Amino acid sequence: MRARLSGGAHALTCTLALAVAAFAPARAEAKAAFRLPEQGVGEQADGARPEVSDASTPSAEAPGDLSNLSIEQLANLPVRSAAKREQPLSEVPAALYVITSDDIQNSGATSLPEALRLAPNLNVQQVTASQYSISARGFNGVQAGNKLLVLIDGRSIYTPLGDSVLWELHQPLLEDVQQVEVISGPGGTLYGPNAVNGVVNVTTKSAQDTLGGFVRGTAGTGERTAAARYGFALGPSAAVRLYADWQDREGLPVAAGIDQNDSYRGWQAGFRSDFGGAADQFTVQGDLFHATDDLIAGDRASAHNLLGRWTHTISPNASFQFQSDYDWYRRDVTLVRDSLTTFENEAQLNLTAGPHQIVAGGGIRLTKDLFINGLNGFQLNPQSRRLAVYNAFAQDRFALTDKLALIAGVKFERSSFVGWQVLPNLRVAYQASPRTLLWAAVSRAVRTPSRIDRELEFEPILPPSVDFKAEKVVAVEAGYRGEPSSWLSLSVNAFYNFYTDLRTTESITPALFPVELLNGRRGNSYGIEAWAKAQVTPWWRLSLGATTLHKNFHMEDDRVDFQPRNSLGADPHWQVVGSSEMDLTPRLKLTLDVRGVGALDLDPRVPGYVEAGGQLGYDLTDRVELFVAARNLLHGTHAENGDPGNAQLAKRSIYAGTRLRF
Amino acid sequence: MRRLKFILLTGLVAALVPLGSARAQISDTDVKAAFLPRFARYVTWPPAAMPKGDDPYVLCVIGTDPFGGLLEQAARSQSIDGRRMTVRRMDSTAGSNGCQIAFVSGGRGESTGQALAQLGNRPVLTVTDSNQGGARGIIHFVVSGGRVRFYIDQAAAERKKMAISSRLLALAVGVHQ
Repeated sequence: MRARLSGGAHALTCTLALAVAAFAPARAEAKAAFRLPEQGVGEQADGARPEVSDASTPSAEAPGDLSNLSIEQLANLPVRSAAKREQPLSEVPAALYVITSDDIQNSGATSLPEALRLAPNLNVQQVTASQYSISARGFNGVQAGNKLLVLIDGRSIYTPLGDSVLWELHQPLLEDVQQVEVISGPGGTLYGPNAVNGVVNVTTKSAQDTLGGFVRGTAGTGERTAAARYGFALGPSAAVRLYADWQDREGLPVAAGIDQNDSYRGWQAGFRSDFGGAADQFTVQGDLFHATDDLIAGDRASAHNLLGRWTHTISPNASFQFQSDYDWYRRDVTLVRDSLTTFENEAQLNLTAGPHQIVAGGGIRLTKDLFINGLNGFQLNPQSRRLAVYNAFAQDRFALTDKLALIAGVKFERSSFVGWQVLPNLRVAYQASPRTLLWAAVSRAVRTPSRIDRELEFEPILPPSVDFKAEKVVAVEAGYRGEPSSWLSLSVNAFYNFYTDLRTTESITPALFPVELLNGRRGNSYGIEAWAKAQVTPWWRLSLGATTLHKNFHMEDDRVDFQPRNSLGADPHWQVVGSSEMDLTPRLKLTLDVRGVGALDLDPRVPGYVEAGGQLGYDLTDRVELFVAARNLLHGTHAENGDPGNAQLAKRSIYAGTRLRF
Repeated sequence: MRRLKFILLTGLVAALVPLGSARAQISDTDVKAAFLPRFARYVTWPPAAMPKGDDPYVLCVIGTDPFGGLLEQAARSQSIDGRRMTVRRMDSTAGSNGCQIAFVSGGRGESTGQALAQLGNRPVLTVTDSNQGGARGIIHFVVSGGRVRFYIDQAAAERKKMAISSRLLALAVGVHQ
């Protein structure tokens, strides 16, 4: 462990030294590039009249004075992004990190889980070539990672089988992703079921923003990808895009366990159309997915989905949104067949009345599943089941003064297994200045029991847990989000979570067997999450994020849990991520990233590690981009997850690629 | 230890750089405000829609104004064919006669979509911002790659009998024809 970390530190130092050496000559060049020569000013181009700056106008101080710049220079001026304001949900005072489209493309990520490593408030553990386990604020693990809500364009993708997310079934075209909002902590009233410890909200670009053709290909050690998209307008206020994305990944090296033969080939194709204009806007989109792997012949996964959304503006102060989606998948994995059909409907009304901003709505999530295990004796009884989750919610944001707002919300949620639950949350937002937001929140969230929680059985050693209750958390949070300086944005959040009724595997007789899944554990966790982004110079951005996590759990009445990993997960107690993005010249861009992750806290232990990667991209022309990228550059292999039955080792990957736009 | 010192020094240098950098970071709002009066230079209106006599060009903000004094500042330095530019603000499209450029954002009177519909095919260069929702004018601001850019709906401009210079079209991230 020590040797590994110091080795990492050494390589890190070398990387830094190299990077610094590389900056020195590039800096002068990039600065020159930023101060473009006054080309274009005064130039008479078709229909454009000459630009004459009025010399008599007193020149204002920077940054307001942009009057001497040509229109081309304006278009190339780096700005502080206002991405946070693009979604109203982002204004909810919560621990929010936004991954932008540019962040993803500069990072060299080729899959959604790899892109999520950009969020400092998520812990991403690679399990196999295609599987990941991702969590916020602890409980990470193949079984334990069941407290995260993940939405892709509003479609919820966790499965009620174990309340976890099967990341390997989702392969969106990353270049079409508009942004990813990552909220650590309960998502509040507005998000759907399962937002216990975090929300990942992926939104793709409007079809109107992806007109034209796009092709990407990458090849290198470990994986090859190819993708294409074509977008076109249908009349003045409608557009459609079609896309396909193909990936071929080699298997990862074996960890302590068995070889998963996890090499993998998958493709996803789909469409999105956006239409309507003034008062009504419509989105219709869908995806098809298919993948095969090499564990045993016939192993495969298929999925498809279709979503429609209608947003209606009733008046400037009122709007209404209705969304309906259908989702299906089937996995055949080592003699296990798992399939799920989901049908979701959601309606939401937004009203502004004086100092009140009211959001109210409701949703229904219906699922029908089938789980047949031909591998061992663990069965779901019944094999197929229909489940429903209903909810109704209301939230009021009340502006007490210009600076102080109170947000009170409540959600009532009814699920097939545990009946009605009440999920209130109360938030205070104090906008101390336009650049400083202080907030605090108390919220209650529950994890609805999954099929495994309630109906997994293995006669005679594991009877179904007919009394299994929802896991519950009360989260107390406070945070600061602001811009202490015009070149620096900073966010600091602290949380304290009180958990009750966490899942345990316990003996129910004096003998060891039978065991049963019960709600035998309680406890608390606390930590700090902080991240900063600095625009050091117009051509150089730095970001740094760190999280800490302390867990303090205990069993009720000296009972014993045989499977703590399945309930508590295995988490690092700290994590640091940093990145540097440099526009070395207007055409050459270098991104470097480093992450350090502490040792996982449950046996079998996975040591901490430091890894680095990056991407060097060159715009050959406005339409052709070449890049080389690397992941996990510092070590040949390292362990991230450590799940005894599943985990393989993450490995170094170096690849080159190109993006063409036409 | 030496290495540690090196890292610390590198970090210190990095921390000092911004203090020495004279040019503060510019917000997207600053740049959008600088763009708005300048669009007049790259657009040709039908003669009937041009300012009369020595009148200035009129840049209107319909609905909420995110710019404050920035627009006046930006408009002040513009002189297009000897003509100046003034800024007018209004809650709704009522009173928008005489606007050559209109930045449209939802306000107390109308939503962005309603205001755009009210303007219809009148020869006004409508400008919208992706920050303010999905409704789109002829020019639609986005922040892309850390830069303020825009989409241009050339078909809508043609319906309004307006021509847009290729120099402006070249800067668009997408042109709808």
